[in-house]
Amino acid sequence: MRGKILGFFAFSVGIGILVLGLKFLNWLPLMVQIDSMREYKDVEEVKGALQIKTIFIPSYFPQNLNWPPSKILAQGKPFLAVIMEFEKMTGKDTMLLISQSTSEDFFPEEKIKIIKVKESISYPVKGRDALLRVGLCQRNEPCSGISWKEGEYTIHVLIKSAPFELIKIAESMLR
Amino acid sequence: MVCLYLTNPVNLQFSQLGCHNQLVGTHYFWHSEDMEFSTLLNSYPGSYIVQSFSHSVITAFIVEIAIKAWGIRNPAVRQRFLLVIILFPIFSFPVYQIINPHRSSIYFRLNALLDSSRWLDMELWGVVPIRYGFLLMFFLTAVIFFFQELVPILRHTYESRGSEISGERAEEHPMMAQVLEDLPVEKADIFVLEDDDMVLFSTTGRKGSIYLSSGLLGILDREQVRAAVAHEFAHVMRSRRPFLVVMFLLRIVMFYNPVVLLEFRRIVQEDEKICDDFAVSLTRNPLALADALRKLYITDEEEKPGKPINIVNEMEDLELYSHRLNILSRITRLGKGYANTGDKGWFAIVLTLVVVLVMNYFIV
Repeated sequence: MRGKILGFFAFSVGIGILVLGLKFLNWLPLMVQIDSMREYKDVEEVKGALQIKTIFIPSYFPQNLNWPPSKILAQGKPFLAVIMEFEKMTGKDTMLLISQSTSEDFFPEEKIKIIKVKESISYPVKGRDALLRVGLCQRNEPCSGISWKEGEYTIHVLIKSAPFELIKIAESMLR
Repeated sequence: MVCLYLTNPVNLQFSQLGCHNQLVGTHYFWHSEDMEFSTLLNSYPGSYIVQSFSHSVITAFIVEIAIKAWGIRNPAVRQRFLLVIILFPIFSFPVYQIINPHRSSIYFRLNALLDSSRWLDMELWGVVPIRYGFLLMFFLTAVIFFFQELVPILRHTYESRGSEISGERAEEHPMMAQVLEDLPVEKADIFVLEDDDMVLFSTTGRKGSIYLSSGLLGILDREQVRAAVAHEFAHVMRSRRPFLVVMFLLRIVMFYNPVVLLEFRRIVQEDEKICDDFAVSLTRNPLALADALRKLYITDEEEKPGKPINIVNEMEDLELYSHRLNILSRITRLGKGYANTGDKGWFAIVLTLVVVLVMNYFIV
């Protein structure tokens, strides 16, 4: 029994060291590679760090959402990608998510995921051919999303509300 | 109407964008080959390969810590631990993805214990992505597996089909009567082959057979032959052919995984130690088996003159060296007379499995 307890203690220590080692290995690439996916404080910091000329930001912003973004994630490699999350004024729920990426496949929709698509139509946004989707997210919340190509970028905008605000936001992102 | 499932290169999950006539495109164009390769690694099969490798590395560490922490010396128990390293990565990724489809998302990765994509996307001197190094390692492992494991096994299976080995039955051999005393002779047929080389092997089946050569009988003394034959009896009696076939088939799934390649070999070595212990339990003479091993396998190998230096010969030398080390470790073990405790190590195995399951969940 004593051997088992000592073994358990040694095992716990060994696993603790392993966890610390893994945390170090996870941190190391962030130090070496400046353009890995990471969190940034503001848009200007992203522009400076990743040398991005254009980050698409809406000029129209619903009043019930908090500005600035609650979270900004970005990476430079293997492809450029920026994600901005916006929370509602009251609470911590992510209400709006904007992503732009040089990869067409990049689609970070975990925070606002349209689980049940009720309608999916082609919708023109200032002359761009966009895809508008309307449906329900978790807890049957109404949500909608719009995606289009803007030069080298693919842009996705997802919101936890009906599409009216979404379209206004999307249009305000373009000149 | 088309239902599109787009693979997301960073969050890896399959996102159903819905059924519609047009979407961001059914064909994708890539900005560079590098991005294409990155996307390939982040697809479901790519993620399976990367994460199964990561999981096997972490599992190997956890198992090694457990073996050291509890001082596990019993080869049967050690073998059980090593099996976890082989089997776990085969199922880990798909099972985790079922439990949490968002497990590979950016958000999960940012809080993960280890995000492999950070390493894969890292570039050496800002030029060569490390992922190419990983690809090379997987490729080399696959080549080694193919030529050192798969081909020899298939060749052996093909060649042994229908071929019969004829020899004198051991009962009729003058020296063998005393050798076989107290051994479970009913478990296998024993044959003596007329051959000056040292030959000793067994075959399993409905009734196993053990073959030894007259050359071997000339070099080993009676106790050593008895120990060697007892070891082969252990192989015959332990014959778990269906289990081993299933194990090997599962092992094939991990053909690219260098950790599994090494650990599978360790399992085979542990099997030899299990048979050593069984032989010692029959003969009560570990030193005789150690001496037999020494005479059979540890020869004073001299550098063959004129042997060209190339990668094939270097690999062969390495293989021989590794084999020699294994035999020496068995000899040392027999010399020290490690006693197997009755502890089956189930407590340690269950605890290790729990840690393996929990920790690897956060390795993406």
